[in-house]
Amino acid sequence: MVIDWLPSVLIVALLALGVIGALRRVNLWRAGQPEKVNLIAGLLAMPNRYLKDLHHVVERDKYMSRTHVATGGGFVLSMVLVLVVHVFNVQERIVAWALLGALALMLIGAFFVFKRRLNPPERLSKGPWMRLPKSLITFAVTFIVLTLPAAGILPEGTGGVVLIVVLSIGIVIGLGELLFGMGWGGPMKHAFAGALHLAFHRRPERFGGGRSTGLKPANLEGAVIGVAKPSDFKWNQLLGFDACVQCGKCQAMCPAFAAGQPLNPKKLIQDMVVGLAGGTDANYAGSPYPGKEIGNAKGSPTEVITAGLVSQETLWSCTTCRACVEECPMMIEHVDAIVDMRRFLTMEKGETPNKGSEVLENIIATDNPGGYAPGSRTNWAADQNLAVMKEKKEADVLFWVSDGAFDMRSQRILRAFVKLMKHANVDVAILGDEERDSGDVARRLGDDATFQSLAKRNLATLGQYKFKKIVTTDPHAYHCLRNEYADFDANGALEGVEVLHHTTFLNQLVQSGALKLDAFKGGKVTYHDPCYLGRYNGEYEAPRELLRSLGIEIAEMERSGFRSRCCGGGGGAPITDIPGERRIADMRMEDVTETGAELVAVGCQQCTAMLEGVVEPRPEVKDISEILVGQLVEEVH
Amino acid sequence: MSDIIRRDPRAEWIIRNRLHPLHDQYVSQEEGGEIRGPSGIIRKFPHKVGFIGPNGVKRIDRLKGNAASATGKRSSATQEVQLPLHQISSPEFYVVVVPDLVGGRLTSHDKDILGLAHKLISEHGGQGAVAALCFGEVKEEHFDLAGVDRLIHLNDPAFDGYAPEARVQALAYVDTQLTVKHWLFPDSVHGGADLGSRLAAKLGERPATQAWQVTAEQVVCRGASSSLDISRAMPRIAMLLEECGDAIDETRHEASSIEFADIPLLEGHIVDKGLMDVDPNAIPLAEAEFILSAGNGIHNWDQFHQAAATLGATEGASRVAVDDGFMPRIRQVGATGTWVTARVYIAVGISGAIQHMQGIGQVDKVVAINTDAGCDMVKRAALSVIGDSEEILSELMALVNAHRNQASSESEENSHAA
Amino acid sequence: MPHKIISLISVGRHPQSGRARRSDQDGRAVELGLKLSGSQLEVVHAGDSEEPVLRQYAGMGLAEITILEQDQSMDAVASLSTYLASRDADIVLTGVRSESGESSGMVPYILAEALGWPLVARVADIVEIKDGTAEVLLALPRGQRRAATVKLPFIATIDSAAQEARQSAYGPGLRANMVAQSGANELDELRANWSEAPAKPRPKRLKMVKAKTAADRFKAATAKPAGGSGKVMKNESTEEKAQAIFDLLIEEKVIR
Repeated sequence: MVIDWLPSVLIVALLALGVIGALRRVNLWRAGQPEKVNLIAGLLAMPNRYLKDLHHVVERDKYMSRTHVATGGGFVLSMVLVLVVHVFNVQERIVAWALLGALALMLIGAFFVFKRRLNPPERLSKGPWMRLPKSLITFAVTFIVLTLPAAGILPEGTGGVVLIVVLSIGIVIGLGELLFGMGWGGPMKHAFAGALHLAFHRRPERFGGGRSTGLKPANLEGAVIGVAKPSDFKWNQLLGFDACVQCGKCQAMCPAFAAGQPLNPKKLIQDMVVGLAGGTDANYAGSPYPGKEIGNAKGSPTEVITAGLVSQETLWSCTTCRACVEECPMMIEHVDAIVDMRRFLTMEKGETPNKGSEVLENIIATDNPGGYAPGSRTNWAADQNLAVMKEKKEADVLFWVSDGAFDMRSQRILRAFVKLMKHANVDVAILGDEERDSGDVARRLGDDATFQSLAKRNLATLGQYKFKKIVTTDPHAYHCLRNEYADFDANGALEGVEVLHHTTFLNQLVQSGALKLDAFKGGKVTYHDPCYLGRYNGEYEAPRELLRSLGIEIAEMERSGFRSRCCGGGGGAPITDIPGERRIADMRMEDVTETGAELVAVGCQQCTAMLEGVVEPRPEVKDISEILVGQLVEEVH
Repeated sequence: MSDIIRRDPRAEWIIRNRLHPLHDQYVSQEEGGEIRGPSGIIRKFPHKVGFIGPNGVKRIDRLKGNAASATGKRSSATQEVQLPLHQISSPEFYVVVVPDLVGGRLTSHDKDILGLAHKLISEHGGQGAVAALCFGEVKEEHFDLAGVDRLIHLNDPAFDGYAPEARVQALAYVDTQLTVKHWLFPDSVHGGADLGSRLAAKLGERPATQAWQVTAEQVVCRGASSSLDISRAMPRIAMLLEECGDAIDETRHEASSIEFADIPLLEGHIVDKGLMDVDPNAIPLAEAEFILSAGNGIHNWDQFHQAAATLGATEGASRVAVDDGFMPRIRQVGATGTWVTARVYIAVGISGAIQHMQGIGQVDKVVAINTDAGCDMVKRAALSVIGDSEEILSELMALVNAHRNQASSESEENSHAA
Repeated sequence: MPHKIISLISVGRHPQSGRARRSDQDGRAVELGLKLSGSQLEVVHAGDSEEPVLRQYAGMGLAEITILEQDQSMDAVASLSTYLASRDADIVLTGVRSESGESSGMVPYILAEALGWPLVARVADIVEIKDGTAEVLLALPRGQRRAATVKLPFIATIDSAAQEARQSAYGPGLRANMVAQSGANELDELRANWSEAPAKPRPKRLKMVKAKTAADRFKAATAKPAGGSGKVMKNESTEEKAQAIFDLLIEEKVIR
């Protein structure tokens, strides 16, 4: 027949166009800064990362995971077989049948995608994404029909020219979306960019059940500190932005978005894509930043991001709670990107909003955010009879007090914890006035210079003494000490030292019988997971076990564990204080109230402060150590 | 003991009635004589013994009635004590104090320095006199009791308002006319530090600033934002911190005036354009003297703003009121907001979270208006009223308006009378 | 014609930690200078060009800082007056009082005397410069303001009520140019004879009671100190409550 060759040519042509587009895309990523990645090892690890780690996240939504397996798996398989059958003209029937099977699988998947898209939830982006299921179905149906003769179901040449033309149109529509669109920035871009993103991920430790949450140190020597323009990101960060599927799971989890602050993680990543490719956000078809209209943002790889692409308030709304990162099926690192851009605002422009500049100035001048005299750091412990490392030199446990030492509310937590340790006869010492702010706030506010200086000085102090464990009541300091100080620990001050949160440590004491506790007799209790303890450090179980050891049956909130909602106190958010429609702490307290709990147990002084800031009447807020102290069995002498 | 003179009608009646069985006893008691107790023992009535001497110390009169009788009523009436007069007829040298005279009156800072000036003179020895040099309008009536031996009052209109250039020329002129051993200025924001520095620069002296321990030979000054004590020889010009000396309180002084006519003045470069009308809400919260602060208990925000305007108070707010969007963030008082230094702080509907209490730690007088008598703010407050804030604020506004009207009509009357 | 403005800066001292920092008022002087003349502002320091605190000033967006290199024991006034005399400036801005050293606040006065310029003290803002005169706002206690005009050239000391210094950014501070030239080396001889010691806490003056009688002395010694819990009005009428507040306001003289 005359135009028999048409389908094969179309397939090859679209494939070639797709490859050209893909190479162009790769070039866009290469505009980013160099970052060392083991390319071969990454590519080799990629299938496993996709099948295990990524799928593990997608699996949280069973409907979608099955749909995706069917559609994606079916497509990859059928695409390979399409090339075998229709381009290389392999005439084996069994192959044709296999192709039919794969296409049928994909069709079923595509049907469910279609169904989901009939009445899509608000978090999903519309626009080109609405057309995707139709393109998928077109592709599957077209190739099923095209393959039927090869499988021997229909005789060769059925339908004649008309059918060929119709099928060719189907091929153009289907493959246009799936191959051409993949390379040229259509919805299917996610498959290609996503696969490479998994292979060249900036935090390979995250795969295989690992955890990598510490921020990467900023280069303080460069011409520009932090990220001013899209091209200042590392190349694999740009790649990561391109992997976004606009599923909106981040948006659904983001506390700032829910509070009506001008941040939507999905839109942010899409704006980064606009930035790396150049153009405007006019084609974006998802939810906007609350209170901001779509269509006004424009950028290019060499334009300053905050000069038209993303507003500064958007960047400062983030509480760095990592809920978006935890939820992202493509394992995109939103928080890294936000802090990178904050670094530019703080260290290059000096535009940390509201109280930010004051707090940073205080940290620089007094090593604590409140600007208190460094010599008054240990005043809270005047009656605690605590050993100080300067005199003791050596102890089992170093108690990292953190800046709660200056806050009267947090001091109650500190005293409770000290009492518990005394009770368990722990050999403990504190650094006293030698301790400094961990640098958490400075780092999240983008002042990495100050963070690095604090980290180095703290490590120098720690290096003078001998201890086996560091225990702290502050998850933020815990995170810094455990995950972020290692980058600066040239002399191994923390080598072989176990860094523990106080709930983990107390749990060990209780389980080993060093602490004897009465059963708790109060009302219903719920537990709020601090972000920096849970998502950042994976400690969900110890605080719960502690509460259970008091005989408490925890009335879990709907959002708990890795899906816990932030209290609004992280990332310097209370300092930068970007206005929204509601307060994050109020929403979290509503979550608490819904459980009917009278008491919410917390493991973080910042969460305690934020939740207690909610107007009464509300459930009581107590740190776990405060609850434990109330149940101590006092030994009679 | 109360200074109110109280009558004892019964005693007066008994003294009038000679037939009363207790008549003799009361009469003798009135005269400071003997009193017989119920068992017949003579008793002394200790309050009636003695009298207050001229310097205010109580004296017991052993002459029994030969001295002036004590006051008859059951009271210890205050004696108008005439303090001894300190006179310097012809001073050999002067210590000149240039007081701030905030609002035309001597401040306690000024008085301390006048006291210190006398201490310096006695340490130097010889006939020195303390002169106070005042510019412009003076309302102070008790220069004599504050230790001013000589008063130099320069009332030329050229010195009115902000006229540092004219004033320093006058000081320099006075320096040529009198033997001035020391020039003392209050080291204050009210102009003392400025004037002192100008004079020092003009005379080429190196003054002692922020001085707080002063003797004729040596002075200790604060330096490096009050972290350093600098000891040095006492120079001619010194700017002194508050509480550097003790105010005069046991002597009277002449306060006789020295006149200087025709002080030569050069044209200045600075022209005073007068005080600005400052909107109370434009005053930074940390500096404001009088704050009306709103919390969760406010429901009528229009009325609150109106009340702040009527009272002339700077607006403050608790964290909750700010979070709820009723007030801007810069109005937030507390550990996470602004630490205020107001003298009077009215907390309306603020129960007093610990962070808020930290922020008002330096406030002198707190007034709480709240519905909950048990809240922490009420415990902190000097005056608490329990009740509906809306009613109380409207009543308060009415009182203030009435007060203002009355004051303005009075001043009108005064001006008519004049 | 843009006016030539010079801000003088010094090494500050944090009130709590005692560490060197950007001095508060000098920072405001730089801020005001930036407002008036933007990048034309010249910033001058007399002291050590290696001083890291200068980077904190530079982080406000200064391309360079001029340093009159001299030892700490030397008199800064000599260097500064020679330098300023050579620069033909219109306005020189300084803090009211330095946060380190003698902090006498005399430097601007001596400079003004040496240059023969007028000096305005405690400036909150310079509103306008026109026809060779500047309209300035002076800061008075408790947030009050006075307007005044002054002829150019003049020296202004900047009060803590002036616009707060902008945030210092690390990057620009690091990259700013420190232009050092040697300053006058005049030893501050007078100061060499002074003795300096860490500040002793000043005793708070107790309420002096010059009691005339034993009873008064006894009362002064035993009476409960003022304060404690205040008066609580609960069941009185609204009028009485309002009156009580009003009386307190009158007594405290906040309502006149």
